[in-house]
Amino acid sequence: MISREICQRVLQKALSTGADYAEIFGENTTNHAINMIASKVDTIKDTVIAGVAVRVYKGMRSVMATTVDMSESGLLRCAEKAADALGQGSAAMDIVLRERIFGDIHPVKIVPSSVGNGAKVAILKDGYFAAKEYDPSIVQVSGTLLDVDHNILIANSEGLYTQDRQIRTRISISAVAEKDGETQTGSFNPGRRMGLEMFDFIDPKAVGVRAAKQAVTMVSAGYCPAGVMPVAIGNGFGGVIFHEACGHSLEASSVAYGTSQFAGKLGQKIANEKVTAIDDGTIPGAWGSINIDDEGTPSQCNVLIEKGVLKSYMIDKFNGRRMGMASTGNSRRQSYAYTPTSRMTNTYIAEGEDDNDAIIASMEYGLFAKEMGGGSVNPTTGEFNFAVNEGYIVRNGVICEPVRGASLVGKGSDVIMNIDMVGKDMDMGQGMCGSSSGSVPTNVGQPMIRVSSITVGGR
Amino acid sequence: MDYQSFKKAVIAKCEALGIAEYELYYQAGTSTSIDTFRHAINEFSASEEGGVCFRCIVDGKMGYASTEDLSEAQAAAVVEKAVDNAKTLESEEAVFLCEGGQEYETVDRAGYALPSTDELIATALAVEQKLYDADPMVIDGTQVNVLTGSGETAIYNSKGLDLYESNAYSGMVAVAVVTNGTEMSNDYQIKIGKLSELDTDAMVKKAVDTAKQKLGGDVAPTAVCPVVFSPDAMCSLLSVFSSIFSSEAAQKGLSKLADKEGSKIASDIVTLVDDPFHKENAFPSVFDAEGCPTHKKSVIENGVLKTLLYNLKTAAVAGKKTTGNAAKGGYDSPVGVRPFTMYLAGGDCTEAELLQKAGEGVYINDLSGLHAGANPISGDFSLQSAGFLIRGGEKTDFVKSFTVAGNFYDLLNKITAVADNVTLPSPFGSTTFGAPSVLVEDLSIAGK
Repeated sequence: MISREICQRVLQKALSTGADYAEIFGENTTNHAINMIASKVDTIKDTVIAGVAVRVYKGMRSVMATTVDMSESGLLRCAEKAADALGQGSAAMDIVLRERIFGDIHPVKIVPSSVGNGAKVAILKDGYFAAKEYDPSIVQVSGTLLDVDHNILIANSEGLYTQDRQIRTRISISAVAEKDGETQTGSFNPGRRMGLEMFDFIDPKAVGVRAAKQAVTMVSAGYCPAGVMPVAIGNGFGGVIFHEACGHSLEASSVAYGTSQFAGKLGQKIANEKVTAIDDGTIPGAWGSINIDDEGTPSQCNVLIEKGVLKSYMIDKFNGRRMGMASTGNSRRQSYAYTPTSRMTNTYIAEGEDDNDAIIASMEYGLFAKEMGGGSVNPTTGEFNFAVNEGYIVRNGVICEPVRGASLVGKGSDVIMNIDMVGKDMDMGQGMCGSSSGSVPTNVGQPMIRVSSITVGGR
Repeated sequence: MDYQSFKKAVIAKCEALGIAEYELYYQAGTSTSIDTFRHAINEFSASEEGGVCFRCIVDGKMGYASTEDLSEAQAAAVVEKAVDNAKTLESEEAVFLCEGGQEYETVDRAGYALPSTDELIATALAVEQKLYDADPMVIDGTQVNVLTGSGETAIYNSKGLDLYESNAYSGMVAVAVVTNGTEMSNDYQIKIGKLSELDTDAMVKKAVDTAKQKLGGDVAPTAVCPVVFSPDAMCSLLSVFSSIFSSEAAQKGLSKLADKEGSKIASDIVTLVDDPFHKENAFPSVFDAEGCPTHKKSVIENGVLKTLLYNLKTAAVAGKKTTGNAAKGGYDSPVGVRPFTMYLAGGDCTEAELLQKAGEGVYINDLSGLHAGANPISGDFSLQSAGFLIRGGEKTDFVKSFTVAGNFYDLLNKITAVADNVTLPSPFGSTTFGAPSVLVEDLSIAGK
């Protein structure tokens, strides 16, 4: 993308006003998305994203400049802009870049860009029509097959020169069911850090059926009653509860500034002892996995909480300076145009010892949130919310009728204390997490868990 | 190469391949952003971004391809990819490019000279200091972000269209973090506008007061009761449900307003307007994403749905004229539909009178998790809220961590009063929303 020699000269320019660290992030990404609606292939989107960001640090100040001009003169101008923003000073170091190859733990068997539209449309149609034909009450289906080929180059004044290629594939099916003039939706969106071989073990038809089944179930459901009650949250995307209630507050982007509900609590008990939570960017082929983060630090498996005790935050280089701690390989950005910061990768609650049956049986009256939707959190107060896409009332330890329109709200520090049962069926679900450095692919995950008491929004 | 050379290369490639109908949409911008922390600059960024979306009609289908890399090779590649993509499409709806030679409004764009970096830094640090000085409960983590930038859009097509528009803006985010020793809380205020004209004292006061107010506070009791939404909260609801007014959503069965034009869909006092030239929209636009002229229109007038929002394709399906609401999420997105400045018109009474009418209920001025807890297809919402209990017609105790639930289609019919305090908070994406305080007859509150 950019030669080692050019990077060396650009970094030297970036350091010319006295920065103590300089970095180049180059990107060339191809996004390809095929959309279907009303049973037809409706649009195909093809985008090339290409640009460079130069960052410099001086003490606790970070400066970034970006450009789409990837010629040497364009890069030097960009570096000069970053250097000038630091003000007066002179270069304090020489740079020698050495290429480093970290290795790829995510082999790709079928690179999507090498496959024509026809074969991709066939996969999408399998999923699409499985949903459309699932039940007569399904009145509309939309579907997307997305593939991303994200090539990055990172060079920095510590001598690093490296590249990575991150290929991702995702299928999304959303179904709308209608009954007596009311509509409800269902969706399922599995993705992997893989090529089209993802469909060797994820059947697109099963994706469509799952989306349609949810819509059909919900359109016959009554509204969820409101109140405070115990809630069992299903495995997989249910892990969004940890992501929102706790994960964001463990990112250095709020911890470094003291504005996290968990700042200064390393080594302290912050969660129920049943809770062990992990952020692991090294799971082969997983949606949130990366070989290296967007500052060139190899991804790691970080135990965040062990049996309720806070063990680690998720840290990037710049915020790590303020915290006096090393990067944990969590620096991520949507593209070169965003300043990277600490973000999650694949974040999950580890398997526990409770049986799912025992979790349900323990509830006299409560909610089983089988499928969760998205949510959000204020990391400072820890107040979070998320939507329940598919819920069921539990009465006397038995799963009863489905209910729609539920949401869960609470405070992160309370809810992780109240996770008092943890099951054994760990699974992950895929999402796009939005924050200050843009939208990045992340996995959430957990086995079934029970929250002893939480506010359920309904009516 | 620059955009003009890229454009020539694309035109040459189209001629070589015999592509007669095509469009080139160019969007570029620069932005500078400064963040403070503990009385110093923490992060500074200066970004340049830009890209081109090429689309063409091949055998009645519209193919798209986009790039940020304006090279000779990419000029050829986007044309080839768009043609290839068009050949895979199956949708049978007719597609159009905008005709050239149309009349456009003129908008006063008195040149806005972007503030210098020094001015940005001085402003950011001064406002941060004001936040600290506002109250002893203000602590580190309190931050100010100032930003300034410019953007340009150009549309060229084979039907004689050649349009160009540019804008410049500044803005500020003021974040106050406060503590009472046991609990932390925060609030942020965002304003877009000329830097020197921002009322930073008001922003500081509102951020600090709101952050302090969020400390403590109980959970609201579970009930079905009258709810008053503040202008900010009502704008949040409008932002997530505005897609129900899209003809595209209606035609695809994703809005219940299909076939409802001319029918009553809201209570008599509801009037909803889309005005691309509203004075508080920092990004007025005289043409839409297809290049069609934009204009002001009533979407709902006295409870009656006057029109949905259309682009060329959806208008043709409905046998109507476009309302000039074609939109793209990003430069590379397919053309969809969106409002420009959508606001709910105000009424005669003050907010205090509205609270009197409510009597007993809940006043909501903060809604969270809109992307998850609200479904524009079904209209259902169940949203994390904060606000005040209304007792005896007055705002009383602060309450938080409860949810308000209902259905937006029903809500439109349950609006029993609107106040005279229409405000337009900062834009949600590229649309600005506005609303007064609104009284809704009853909604479900879930709390303790």
